[in-house]
Amino acid sequence: MNALEASGLGKHYGKRWALENCSFELPAGSIAGLVGPNGAGKTTLLHIAVGLLEQTSGSIQILGEHPGDEKVLSRVGFVAQDTPLYKAFSVADMISFGEHMNPSFDVAFARERMSRLEIPFDQRAGSLSGGQRAQVGLALALAKRPEILLLDEPLASLDPLARREFLQTLMEGIVDTGVTVVLSSHLLTDLERVCDHMMVLARGRFRLIAETNDILKNHKLLIGPRERAGAISGVAQVLHQSATDRQATLLVRTNGPIIDPSWMVNQASLEDVVLAYLDSRSTADASEHDLHAVREVAR
Amino acid sequence: MIWVAWRQHRKQALIETGIMAVAALLLLLSGYQMIHVFKSSGLAKCLATAGADCGDLRDSFTNHYNGYQFMVPLFLLAPVLFGMFFGAPLIAREIENGTHRLAWTQGVTRKRWMSMHALMVVGFAIAGSAALAGLVTWWSHPLVSASGGGRFAPGIFDLRGIVPVAYTIFAVMLGLAIGALVKKTLPAIGLTLAGFAAVRVPITLFVRRYYLGAKTAMAPFGQFKGPHLIMGQPWVISQNTIDRLGNIVARGGGLNFDYLATRCPGITPPSPVPGRVAKPAVDAVQSCIDRLGLHLSTMYQPAHRFWTFQWIEFGIFIALALVLAWFVVARVRRLA
Repeated sequence: MNALEASGLGKHYGKRWALENCSFELPAGSIAGLVGPNGAGKTTLLHIAVGLLEQTSGSIQILGEHPGDEKVLSRVGFVAQDTPLYKAFSVADMISFGEHMNPSFDVAFARERMSRLEIPFDQRAGSLSGGQRAQVGLALALAKRPEILLLDEPLASLDPLARREFLQTLMEGIVDTGVTVVLSSHLLTDLERVCDHMMVLARGRFRLIAETNDILKNHKLLIGPRERAGAISGVAQVLHQSATDRQATLLVRTNGPIIDPSWMVNQASLEDVVLAYLDSRSTADASEHDLHAVREVAR
Repeated sequence: MIWVAWRQHRKQALIETGIMAVAALLLLLSGYQMIHVFKSSGLAKCLATAGADCGDLRDSFTNHYNGYQFMVPLFLLAPVLFGMFFGAPLIAREIENGTHRLAWTQGVTRKRWMSMHALMVVGFAIAGSAALAGLVTWWSHPLVSASGGGRFAPGIFDLRGIVPVAYTIFAVMLGLAIGALVKKTLPAIGLTLAGFAAVRVPITLFVRRYYLGAKTAMAPFGQFKGPHLIMGQPWVISQNTIDRLGNIVARGGGLNFDYLATRCPGITPPSPVPGRVAKPAVDAVQSCIDRLGLHLSTMYQPAHRFWTFQWIEFGIFIALALVLAWFVVARVRRLA
């Protein structure tokens, strides 16, 4: 089953397309990183997925339902960018808020998390540190016991230590629950360690959607002669190239083993690949290809 | 859900309750004192006696409570306070702080969230404004009786009966709508005040008089002492002095001496400089008036229409509030 599924999804504000012709399927249970530079359309996509925004074109389903429907609202956990909380509420009030706003809300779970993180119940939400705020927001979303959890830039305002702690508590919180997670970030390094799926978005279009393992398996860094004679067997597409006086470095997508002895084959880092896709101008075929790869996995 | 709405609005609710409690206390204390004077001075009895001349008693009473007289219009602002401090911030503050993204992604639909909050706020505003209207009606009745204007007069009509409640519901809905539109708390509060005035003032001054066709009473000029031709305390919309053919000779029910001078020889307009020319003899003027057949024409709404007008105005503001409510629901659906 797909936790999130879109076809031809588009959204424009005035004349500007924030999201254009996006199609993807995200299998249930995946932990997906939604990566892209600021303004790529990540927030727009997440807002459509949770029912805050209505798309302009195409369709999207979350847990098999139309986003924002009463049936699905309580099954979706969402933490918006900057983790909005009612400033005048105490932490205990925020937990009561969750309890009163949801048909089932695990109060004990939320309280236990707060105690463990040493966040005082009587502290006003407005005076929490950035890290504590993010933790309260996450606890509220997790206590809904959602089937899918969407977090919009949860790490953006956190210092490196708090980032690590946040990701750690997130992973603890979802272990053995089978919940699908979508985390957005403009920094890939934040997500690399935890995500098994990557969704790369730039200027409103998907550049790459694939399993992290497949990305690493299907992309290589080749070092070889500066002058290239014809196509290299096993290379489907050259994503990026740079050259010195003596040799060329190619980042390629492969479709088979590369046995040409004139090329030294190295492992490409996830960051290299994602950056190459973010840079690439025409990537329609690439995303088509990888969409296919995701579909295969989904089966 | 009710808990959430209460938790979010309790601070304003407590502040507003506090303000109203203080106002109520002041009204009660000053009201008892004023009613005591109203009765003990004999003014109450005099006003209740038909045909009695209460001029002196009335003057001394109104002079003494001049300050209170000025306070009466302040209560016209009470409804819009609910709109400004409960209506306007409700949606605007959520969006300003981004908390709508928290509230609208919980297990409760936006529609239900909106209805619960609106119901709580409107309910509170209705209770508050109804209580205040009752109190102000009781408190102001000696002042209104002494002034002779009656409960139908603009400004007094607006403070009693059922219209304050309708104004309040309208003000809250206006605040909600403006808040949902401008999405910033402070501008929304200011615009709510401006918008409320922009609707209330023209309706009071220019529209209300046409709810039902006004009646006209005619009396020969000079024999008309007050609206005694008209039963009870009507709302006098205008008074004009007219000639036999119905042409207006003077607006406001006075005399136009220039007009008289051109038609009756021997009458000269009174000089603006006292003592230069003698005032026209009263007899000469009266005979001129009689010869020209001048009449005082009074356009008024009869006193017995008070409650009809209350219901019409109530209906207008409730209808406006419903339109705004529809707008708010449509708008909230599209906010993100």
